[in-house]
This record gives sequence, C-alpha cells and structure tokens, in this order.
Amino acid sequence: MNDYTNTSERPVKPKPRARSFLIALVLLALTFWAAFKVSFDLSTFWEVWTNPIWSMFWPIPWDWVFTKENTFDPLIETLQIAVTSTLVGCLLALPVSFAMSSLTTPNKIVYFISKTIMNLVRAVPDLFWAKLLVTAIGIGAFAGAWSLTIFSLAVMVKLFSETVDAADPRPLEAARSSGARHLPAVKAGVLPTVFPSYVAYSLYIFELNIRASVVLGLVGAGGVGRVIETQRQFFRFDRILGLLVIIFGIVWVIEQISVSLRKRLV
Amino acid sequence: METLSDTPISSHRPPTPKTFYRWFIAIPFLVAIVWSVVGLNITLSRLLDAPGDAWTILRQMAPPAFGEVYERGAVGKIFESVYIAWIGTIIGAFVSLPLAFLAAHNVAPVWIRSPIRQLFNAIRAVPELILAVILIPITGLGAWAGTLAIGIHSIGTLGKWACESIEDIDDGPIEATKACGGKWASGMRWGVLPQVMPVISSYWLFRFEINVRASAVLGMIGAGGVGSELVSQLSFRNFPAASAVLIMTMAVVLTIDTISAAVRRRIIKGSDNTDEDSRTLEAITDLTGIRS
Repeated sequence: MNDYTNTSERPVKPKPRARSFLIALVLLALTFWAAFKVSFDLSTFWEVWTNPIWSMFWPIPWDWVFTKENTFDPLIETLQIAVTSTLVGCLLALPVSFAMSSLTTPNKIVYFISKTIMNLVRAVPDLFWAKLLVTAIGIGAFAGAWSLTIFSLAVMVKLFSETVDAADPRPLEAARSSGARHLPAVKAGVLPTVFPSYVAYSLYIFELNIRASVVLGLVGAGGVGRVIETQRQFFRFDRILGLLVIIFGIVWVIEQISVSLRKRLV
Repeated sequence: METLSDTPISSHRPPTPKTFYRWFIAIPFLVAIVWSVVGLNITLSRLLDAPGDAWTILRQMAPPAFGEVYERGAVGKIFESVYIAWIGTIIGAFVSLPLAFLAAHNVAPVWIRSPIRQLFNAIRAVPELILAVILIPITGLGAWAGTLAIGIHSIGTLGKWACESIEDIDDGPIEATKACGGKWASGMRWGVLPQVMPVISSYWLFRFEINVRASAVLGMIGAGGVGSELVSQLSFRNFPAASAVLIMTMAVVLTIDTISAAVRRRIIKGSDNTDEDSRTLEAITDLTGIRS
C-alpha cells in the first residue's frame, strides 16, 4: 500500500539555470535600450485625448468623399491592380512551385536556384519593391501592379510548394512507372490533388493584395493610396478619415466573400 | 476452359467528364482580367519596355556603395527598424494576452467575447501604414509613431492567434482548479496559461519577424527606420547607395528570420530530440531551402 497521508513533501521546483538568467537579462537590457531609442512615451496615451489635432479629423466632409474622381476612380484602380497582380502572380507561381518542391522538381539545380531566388525576393518588403519599380519604370499603377505581382509570386510559391511537398507521391510514381515523362507525370499525378488548395491560396493572396494595393499609392505606385498621400501633404485628415471608412467598408465586403469561398474549397 | 488471357479486353474507356460548365467559371475570370488590364492601361509596348528599364536601374546599382551608406548612418537606421519592431511586438503582446483570454469561447462569456473579437477584426483590417498615417500628426514624425502603429496592428493579429490557441486547450486543468476552489483568474493562471504559453510565445516571435519587415516599410512615410534612407537614395537616383541599403536590410531581415525560426523550433519541439548540429542544419534549411 502506498502511504497517501504523507503529503508534506512537495516535488522540488527545478532551479533556473544561470544561462536562463543571462538570456533574460540580455533581453531586458535590449528592451530598455530599444524603448529609449524609439523614444517610448506613455504620456502619448493620455495626452492623445486632449490633443488639439483631433479637430483636424472631424467632421468628415462626406460630399468631398462621395465623388467619382476623389474616391471611386482610385478605388477601382486599386481593385484592378489587385486583380491583375493576383492573376499573373498566381499563374506564374504554378510552374515555379512545382520546380521548387522536392517531390516534383525536374532536377537539383532548378530546385536550388528557384528556392534561393524566391527566398531573396521575399526578404524585400512589398513596398520596397513598389518604390524600386516606381523608380525604374515610372510613377503609376503599372509599377504597382508589377511590384504586387512579384510579391504575390514569392508568397504564393512559398505556400504552394509546401503543399506540393506534402502531396501523396503514389499517383506520381504510378504515372512515372507507366512511362510518362516529367511534365505529363506531374500534371496527371500531382496537379489534381493539390489544385483545390491552389485555388484557396490564390484567394488568400487576393485578400493580401487588396490590402497591399490600398497602401501602394503612398509610395507613388497608383491606387487609392495616392489620394491619401496627397491629402496627407495638405493636412486634410478629415478627408483621409472619410476615405478610410469607404475603403475599409469595401475591403471588408470583398474579404468576407473570399473567406467564405475559401471555406467551401478546403 | 477459359483462362485469364482469353477474357475479352474491354475497349471502352470511361467517359470523359463533361467540362462545359468550366466556361461559366472561366468567363468571369477573363472579364475581370481584361477589365483590369484595360483599366490599368497596360499595353504591349509598356510591358516590353519594363524589363529593359528595370535592367538599366539594376545595372546602375552595381557595385553597392556600402562605405557611403555606412557614413550616412544607415546601420543605425536599420537597427532603429529592429528596435521599432521589438517594442511594437512587446506592446502588442502585453495588450493582446489578457484580451485573448476574454475573447476565447471556452473561458469567456459571450457578452465580453464578441466585442473583443470585433475589436481584433477591426484592428487587423487596417494596415500598419494607414495607422502610421493617422498617428504621425498625433505623435509627430519619428520612431514612436511607427512603434505605436506596429504595436496596435500586432494587438489584432496576436490577439486572434492567442485566442485560437486558448480555444484548443484541454479543459481538464481548469476543472481541476475549480475543484480545488480556485476562482476564474486562478483557473486562467494555473489551468490555461501553462498550456498555451509555448505556442503563444512562438507566435510573438513570428510576429516580430513580420514586424521587422513592416517597420522597414514604415520609414518610407517618415515613421522611423531604414525606409526613409532607401526613399531618399532612390529620389537622388543614387543607385549604388540604394542597393547597399537594400542588401543590408535583406541581410538583417534574413538573419532575424533565421534566429527567430530556430528559437521558435526550440520552444515548440524542446531541446531533447535535437542536437546542436541538426538545429544549425535546420536553420540553414530555413534560410536557403536546401534539404540535405
């Protein structure tokens, strides 16, 4: 029989190691240093309510906002950038993802090169691409569409090649053993099993692109962000607030549609 | 006697599935792309010229002028971006953790849960850059505006992720705390927190990786960090310096990604089953995608 009456002995608490202390200390020091460098200032939180700047955000001039040239034309341009770059980026991503997956890659060299390039592309933030392309090919929606195409290609390839990695290898093997060459084998053996997630990821990329295309204009790459940037330079924050209300209403509706489509797919 | 080889081989193939309905899906797609391409005024000549223009700029970017950029203090700017991301993540983590407990459906009542969920959704809908546009007039130009923008945006995503991981827990420990006479708060502290903390802290690190990129971008509109440096070099059309800034940013982003991914793996998987060598190997795999 076990003696259940003796409960005075508790298990010994493990002692924290010296290394853990050291790591905690370094992180704490880093945090304080970083807070100092970004001029961390809690008073912002209570001064914000009495800040006279609020009068610049209110009231919203709705008659300015609800006009074709101020809001709806740039908004349509934003949508067009998102649609174009999603379609082109995701179409390009299909062959690249197959090249980047260890299951379906034609050979090691293609695998290595595509993987390295895509990792480097992803290391550059999306708006850096936009700014670079605006400088290279001129201000406007064309540069914006290019930059989002590049970025959605890089993200899509990452997501989708991992799905291809996890696909069932047996249909591919069957196709190969019946004598199919590389491309037909991949098309018949792998593509049908991963296609639903390809479409779902494309919709996800579309949501990302809608959000990104709103801010593209801040660096001169077209869309509704251009209007925000102009009004920002005139300090018309009331107009910006009105624009933002419209933008996020529309973005929200599009996202809900896309999310419900994605739920049906997977 | 009939052997297997005598059985007549069926010459019928299974009928091809009817696919004409695919056109009903394809046509809206085609309309959408034609509408977009025409709307953006993308012509063949612009499309053909673009790679050439990009190549011209790319050629001018070599060799990167690291020395010049270093003297302008770009290294400090890159570190400022990292500081902004770090403090922003900490703000997001501290605010989102208690809120996540109030938003999870297995531990919070509905009247408090739904408003907080809506708050998370609303915050996530607004990009950091837009937040920064609103915050800059309030706090003034500089790193603090960017930090706040990143902190606020992180509350939305971190809150959602933390809330989802709280909803996935095993209810046993909460019940045990209740059976011992513990109140709601002690159930959260001793029943829920130990279960979710590894996952949530790895989410924090993951968000930090994202925030490093986001804070680099925030500098482009004057909210502190390396973005302003890139913008000014590109506006001066000083391409060697711009490429140096770009390469340094990429190096920092990739280094932080690698370290953070290694730490996350250590938090989730523990140290028992991986030795030092294989961890380094996995870090290299993460960075380059080369699997040996």
